[in-house]
Amino acid sequence: MKPKDIWTYAFSAIKLRKLRAGLTTLSVVIGIAAIVALLSITQGLQAAIATQLQKGFATDTLIVSAGGGIGVAESGFSLLVNDTETISQIENVTAALAIIQRVGYIRTTDGKARRVTIVGVDFEAYKAIYSSTFVAENGEIPSNPENTAVVVGKQVSEPWGNGTLFCSVGDTVEIIWTNTTARPLRNESYIGSVAAVLQEVGGFSIGGPSDTSIYIPITQAQAFFGTGKCEMIIVKLKNDDKATIESTAKTIRNAFGGQVAVTSATAVLNIISSVFSTIELFLAGIAAISLLVAGIGIMNIMIVSLMERTREIGILKALGMKNRTVLLIFLTEAAIMGLMGALIGVGTGWGLAELVVRIFSANGGFGGGFRQGGQTAAAGAVRITPLLTPTVLLGAIAFGLAVSLVFALYPAWRASRLKPVDALRYE
Amino acid sequence: MVVVETVNLRKVYLLGKVPVEALRGVNLKVEEGEFLSILGPSGSGKSTLLNLIGALDKPTDGKVLIDGVDVSTLNEDRLADLRRRIGFVFQFFNLIPRFTALENVELPMAIAGLGKAERRKRAIELLETVGLADRINHKPTELSGGEQQRVAIARALANNPRFLLMDEPTGNVDSKNADEIMRLVKRLNEEKGVTVIMVTHDQRLAKEADRTVHMLDGLIVNEVVNKP
Repeated sequence: MKPKDIWTYAFSAIKLRKLRAGLTTLSVVIGIAAIVALLSITQGLQAAIATQLQKGFATDTLIVSAGGGIGVAESGFSLLVNDTETISQIENVTAALAIIQRVGYIRTTDGKARRVTIVGVDFEAYKAIYSSTFVAENGEIPSNPENTAVVVGKQVSEPWGNGTLFCSVGDTVEIIWTNTTARPLRNESYIGSVAAVLQEVGGFSIGGPSDTSIYIPITQAQAFFGTGKCEMIIVKLKNDDKATIESTAKTIRNAFGGQVAVTSATAVLNIISSVFSTIELFLAGIAAISLLVAGIGIMNIMIVSLMERTREIGILKALGMKNRTVLLIFLTEAAIMGLMGALIGVGTGWGLAELVVRIFSANGGFGGGFRQGGQTAAAGAVRITPLLTPTVLLGAIAFGLAVSLVFALYPAWRASRLKPVDALRYE
Repeated sequence: MVVVETVNLRKVYLLGKVPVEALRGVNLKVEEGEFLSILGPSGSGKSTLLNLIGALDKPTDGKVLIDGVDVSTLNEDRLADLRRRIGFVFQFFNLIPRFTALENVELPMAIAGLGKAERRKRAIELLETVGLADRINHKPTELSGGEQQRVAIARALANNPRFLLMDEPTGNVDSKNADEIMRLVKRLNEEKGVTVIMVTHDQRLAKEADRTVHMLDGLIVNEVVNKP
């Protein structure tokens, strides 16, 4: 029998049982749609976050903080601002920069206040490390700043995103923090002047500039907060080779007797991407289960169809149809349903992903924060676009087709093995 | 020339756990161009014999030779090829309900791998031969029993078979249509030289054949050459 005739025959059998074939196809549609939607959303999210991270990260940096690192409670050890001198001596280190930060408020002359992270850094050195993100949109970041100079993040200047400004270049602002070491607690403040507003940085950053922070000179921070300690030291390396990163991190740890945690921006990126891979796999696994259910549905339908058509198979065999042609007809029927289901499923899944993203975006977007060495390192919402890679697209279609075929194999094989005389006698 | 020969053909069925001897050593020869009828009451083994000759079933013992070839030596594929050269006509027509008369007649040719245009042309010719030129696009449910059986005969002739096997071809049609079908079969036999083996329990129809064999309890008990 010619392939075209096999196809026509299989199609005519499906057409005869439209509702049943439709429902079977629907189960494949649901399975494939779930896989495509989940994968395209996670991949889109991953891509969006990776982009944001790469912007906010300098891959050739290390972040040194006191204690055991991310999420670990502080030990008695404290990192000092002048520890940068020790670190600068270490091989492969081109610059070391201390960061002091506190949560506090910025208040304008008309009395409005906003909660911000106050970050004390050496402007010149910070600019050198984060040359793409510590950039002024308005005003100029002073190289040799006066103590009153303040650089504010984009969202501090324009928190509502509608052009209304909270503060801008040249404004006089009051910087306030609550001294929790003093008894009783007291608010400390000084008057500063906005020297620059940063460009928008975007979602995440670790150590690097953030949209919700304000920046003051490190010397002013030391005096204002009354401390010689710092929260972290950003270390710029000669290059971002893995070997350089690892050996330098080890040397720094040893220099402080193991009392510091050294995090590489690249390592954090890798951790995040591996976490995402795991999530992706997990979600795809769940979706695959629904496809498995669809496969069992196909098998069920094919077995019912086989019983209903036993006599027909007997006729075909009496007319000289070969076993493998009978097998092919049944597999073709499953393939038609599987392929249609997969194609519709990819479309539906894509639409679903768009819908979900839109709903989430309307509710404020995928945002969140995580802490690194005591710094809240996240800001605005990450805009995500569902990402349907060719791999996911073709993979989903192939998977839908494969599941249909695998589950049709047994009924098709049984059909092909029917003895003509028994099949013809079947009522 | 002998087209079909059976040698000591035996067939034992298991009815539940009880073995039933449907055929107990049948020897039969059918010559090319002959019209043979097999007559017998139900349970005499005549349909079993027909299924074995048609390679739809395998004998317990003995041989079926088609054109001198022992059917039991053929594998599944070769059996399928053999069945393409045999025209079956069943008591219950066994047409594919979703196909039109034309498509049903085309089906064996499609199975044999004939191209669309060629098989369509031949199917129309065959339907004309059986007198259904004006019913080719009707589905079996839109045809009478007699018409359905004539479609089945056209289908059986599609691949130019070596012989026709007819199992109670008039068993499910009224007597007027039965006569018409018998006239058609006789005409095919006489004018086109088609070899016919027909099973029936109707004495009157059996007499239409050149030769009648009587079966009883799995054996051929009598053989009559009918006078024209």
